[in-house]
Amino acid sequence: MHGMGVLIYGTINSIYFALIAIGFALVYGISRQPNFAHGALYILAGFLTWTFLLKLGLNYPASIILSLIITAGIGAALYRFLLIRVRGMEASEIIASFAIGLAIMEGLRFFGFRGKTYTLPAFLEGTVSIANVPVDFQRLIMTGIGVVLIAVLWLFTHHTKLGLALRAIAQDERAALMLGIDSDFTALIALALGSALAGLAAIAILPLGNITVETGYNILINAIAVCIIGGLGSWGGAVLASFILGFAQMLTVYLVGAQWQMVVALLAIIIILIARPSGLLARQKELEERV
Amino acid sequence: MKTRFFACLVILLAILVTLPPYPAFAAKAIVIGCPLSTGFPDGVDSERALRLAVKEINAAGGVNVAGENRPFKLEVMDTRDLEPGVPVSEALLAVEKLILGKGADFILGGPIRSEAALAAMDLISRYKKVSIISAGVLTPAYHKRVAENYDKYKYCFRMTGNVVTEIRESVGILETIKAKHGFNKVFIMVQDVAHARAAGGKIKSMLEDKGWNVVGFEKYPTGSTDFSMGLLKAKGVGTQTLFYWFDMPEISILTKQWCDMKIEALPVGFGASMADSSFWDATGGKCAYWVNVWPRAGCVSSEAIPLATKFIKAYKGKYGVEPGVTWVSPVSYQAVYVLADAIRRAGTIEPHKVIAALENTDLESVWGRTKFDRQSHQIIYSDDPMKGALTTWAQWLDGKRVVVFPPKIATTAIKLPPWMK
Repeated sequence: MHGMGVLIYGTINSIYFALIAIGFALVYGISRQPNFAHGALYILAGFLTWTFLLKLGLNYPASIILSLIITAGIGAALYRFLLIRVRGMEASEIIASFAIGLAIMEGLRFFGFRGKTYTLPAFLEGTVSIANVPVDFQRLIMTGIGVVLIAVLWLFTHHTKLGLALRAIAQDERAALMLGIDSDFTALIALALGSALAGLAAIAILPLGNITVETGYNILINAIAVCIIGGLGSWGGAVLASFILGFAQMLTVYLVGAQWQMVVALLAIIIILIARPSGLLARQKELEERV
Repeated sequence: MKTRFFACLVILLAILVTLPPYPAFAAKAIVIGCPLSTGFPDGVDSERALRLAVKEINAAGGVNVAGENRPFKLEVMDTRDLEPGVPVSEALLAVEKLILGKGADFILGGPIRSEAALAAMDLISRYKKVSIISAGVLTPAYHKRVAENYDKYKYCFRMTGNVVTEIRESVGILETIKAKHGFNKVFIMVQDVAHARAAGGKIKSMLEDKGWNVVGFEKYPTGSTDFSMGLLKAKGVGTQTLFYWFDMPEISILTKQWCDMKIEALPVGFGASMADSSFWDATGGKCAYWVNVWPRAGCVSSEAIPLATKFIKAYKGKYGVEPGVTWVSPVSYQAVYVLADAIRRAGTIEPHKVIAALENTDLESVWGRTKFDRQSHQIIYSDDPMKGALTTWAQWLDGKRVVVFPPKIATTAIKLPPWMK
């Protein structure tokens, strides 16, 4: 049963990592903007949904859509009014977006989102037994959302005009500009989309536990860890890294002990950085570095 | 005439506006510095309780210091020490800011995390500020350090419990369960922080001495969001009880997973968030059957302890909800009264005289009586509310916290979840 448990919960844990990291990877991949407000937007989406659903009495779908729209709007505004001014200055981009993230999280604490146990209800209550391993429906739904999201993102970036424009900017911004693709507009779309993805991850994951402001910091750290392992900017690499981390953590808990699971993530980063300094799938950058 | 009338009205309004809103004190306020992790339930509850007590004392005229009535003034600062990673340096900064920046005469409340509180002991002693821990800090190292180096750490008092007492009672309740249900297998799950590791380690050895089979021991980092593998391990080894010890709010995830996975083990232990009256709703009732220690009586009305009823009524009247985290709210509330009592008896706020007065404390409190061990400055526990501080164990049943241990105050027997019958 333990082997099957590792397989099932390892997959779930991997999708969890993929969900929280894919927005960050997408934004960086397209606009080269490290969105350090990612964790804050994640937690903001959770509190927004909680407010719409449990305070204002809206239904679940409406609450989710509204939260995602607001989160995407904040992401777009973040680029339009702040990041656009410091674009290309990496340290400034990190500091500016992290400052906005801090402002969001501390703002939430200031406005009273602290102390109490805030929770979102599960989409569906109940448990199913898969090969004698009990799994609750919410985890299965979260896994389903993650898988569908990865598929939809792949289709979007490979088979739609906007998606192709985003990839063009990611691959060669100058060439894309010469072909008439608006670099700032695509970066704005990327920030909005990445922020909405952070929100979607929150809505899928938070019903499993509770919403606390501090979670935002953990989400950011985990998202960065996944992206570094996968290769900054490669969302395919992010998915691969999610599976490596997800299974490594579950195996660690199973074989060694739960207290070592955080250490595994850090060790993975160190090992990957030694073996492949640009991450698993960041081939382009690796070549650049060699030149 | 009209001009005069308006002039008088303006003067009257000006006088009214400049009048103090509260009983005016000519005397200088006694500043209480409160280093608390205000982003967490423990910090919020503690701050509320401290403010309530200060308000009551000031409304009654303040503290009589050698014939002069002086008000308390509360200064709260966020230590953030309950956050993942336990940022001890931030907690120390907060304590130092309270002393140097806010001019705190006394330190009450936290830091809440044992690691931060232990680190703050040197700081508090260096500035010669009397401190009463009234939120958190369950490590026995705290009072041991005072006992072993009294001259240096005599400024540090602790009114919260410590792991040793809680562990003794944990073994007691587990032995009761063993006697009634024949359980002898236990799986231990604790948070990877000082007090919880100490609790887990100690209970492991004590239970093994009593013939229990400890079939697993897992330590989860603060902020962990998945307990499935641990629970599967527990299920795999056929444990009958799950001993837990967490102060992080993510324990709600553990309760949900335990319920969803229908783990055939009765959870018994300590969960800080679980003590909160809102925990039932927060987990959708999935915390049913969890047996949790309320390290201090005082959050549940009891005929045996009239002050508890008074405290709960006052707290609910001010904040609209019942006190939540029982190991901080009644303790923090009572700590202000204990300090006021000591200052009154000392007749001064001079630290050494207040220390002597605190050592001689014998005060009726919301959990029974408050007395300190003179050497270690640790509050004295008892299962008799007339002799010391009382602890309560309760089980979540039908949305209520029902007292199940100790037998003297239990109102019902421990119940098992339906999938264990």
